Amino acid sequence: MKRVLFALLLTLVLAAPALAKVAVGQPAPDFTLTDSNGKSRSLSEFKGKIVVLEWNNPECPFVGKHYGSGNMQKQQGDATAAGVIWLTINSSATGKQGDIDGAAANAYIAKVGARQTAYLLDPTGQVGHLYGARTTPHMFVIDKAGVLRYMGGIDSIKSTDKDDIAKATQYIPQVLAELGAGKPVSVATAEPYGCGVKYGS
Amino acid sequence: MRSVLVLLLSITPLLAAADDEHVMVSLLSEHSALVPGKTAWLALRLQHEPHWHTYWINPGDSGLPTKLAWQLPPGYSAGDVAWPAPQRIDVGELQNFGYEGDVLLPVPLEVPGEAKPDTTAHIVAQVKYLVCREECIPGKADLAIDLPVSSAAGAAAKWFEAARAELPQAAKWQGDASLRGDKIEVALHGADLPPISDAYVMDRKIVNYARPQISRAADAVILSFAKSDYFTVAPPQIDLLVRAGAHAWNVRVPFSSSP
Repeated sequence: MKRVLFALLLTLVLAAPALAKVAVGQPAPDFTLTDSNGKSRSLSEFKGKIVVLEWNNPECPFVGKHYGSGNMQKQQGDATAAGVIWLTINSSATGKQGDIDGAAANAYIAKVGARQTAYLLDPTGQVGHLYGARTTPHMFVIDKAGVLRYMGGIDSIKSTDKDDIAKATQYIPQVLAELGAGKPVSVATAEPYGCGVKYGS
Repeated sequence: MRSVLVLLLSITPLLAAADDEHVMVSLLSEHSALVPGKTAWLALRLQHEPHWHTYWINPGDSGLPTKLAWQLPPGYSAGDVAWPAPQRIDVGELQNFGYEGDVLLPVPLEVPGEAKPDTTAHIVAQVKYLVCREECIPGKADLAIDLPVSSAAGAAAKWFEAARAELPQAAKWQGDASLRGDKIEVALHGADLPPISDAYVMDRKIVNYARPQISRAADAVILSFAKSDYFTVAPPQIDLLVRAGAHAWNVRVPFSSSP
């Protein structure tokens, strides 16, 4: 019976995970993308600084919750004022919802008053897949040594309601404060919520 | 569900409806009256435009489950939704669980013993949902119905019985879950196990949402799931929905601390 079972298990097709795994406590993988101004940016150019990655789709109602309320822009502004690098990444495939070019990204930034360091375009989805980004928004925090210290949701209440923002724990300011004070990160992962990232089929 | 839809079309239920983009939601009652001290069943009906869907209690990698909040007369209480078996809705590599077409979400309403016959109960369901095709649109609706309180429940809607019959059954199998490396393994034991074709975990942060590997041995079925990227601590138990073709069961298994 054991041999039959073993053979059965061998014949079952093990679907390779399509989204790669990064893990808190492990080095964050390097990547290179073009920003909204056509400039090539790499994660490695920011070594020695804390880096926040924010997955974005301007047309997603969950992204709309955090930008429409000003929550995201405030967090971006507070972080960058403290020397943190904030990279917004758009992994919508060409032709899918949220796919924008550099000019449209700059128009979006101006319209919502976004305050990130750079808006990076990932239409092939290679960086989204590298990090396992599955929703917009989906957040990652990398420390000065290049180690991933947080991954997951932007806050603790999964909804599209702006009214929930004030009631929720905002994870990014919390992580940044703890890293700044040399404290352990109290919440290192929280499930992300939002629209699915619009990868190509 | 097709048989339910045919019966639904042939009667005029007590309802309140809202037509938002891409899904029409309405509140229905099984019986025409509420009986003091008894459980009455209501249902949220979701009629989706083709290719649009809403989500199960665990929506999967993205999305939000449909949520109900209630405004009820004093002494009344509403229980949890009895979720029908969802289907897998995959958008690329992302896995979701939800509903398309015409679906009913039944909810039990506890009527207090002190409810007075020949009065009317005003019941309001505040529904929040996310309806998606590839893009997602949040929606909300306040649905109100007035139901008379009576010593007799009155006519029962046949479509409700049909909907109830199609809900996942409570399974009586023994089983357990354990963490094995980067997998969560659920073992189900029983001589009468059906040919299980798929399984969905109801709890979040336990497994990744791809279909588990399924293997059979003697009187056992082993479901092997990839562990969630957001797994932190093992829960005391996990709730799963298990499918064998069109049939579905809800099963709860304890989580053992050592395999």
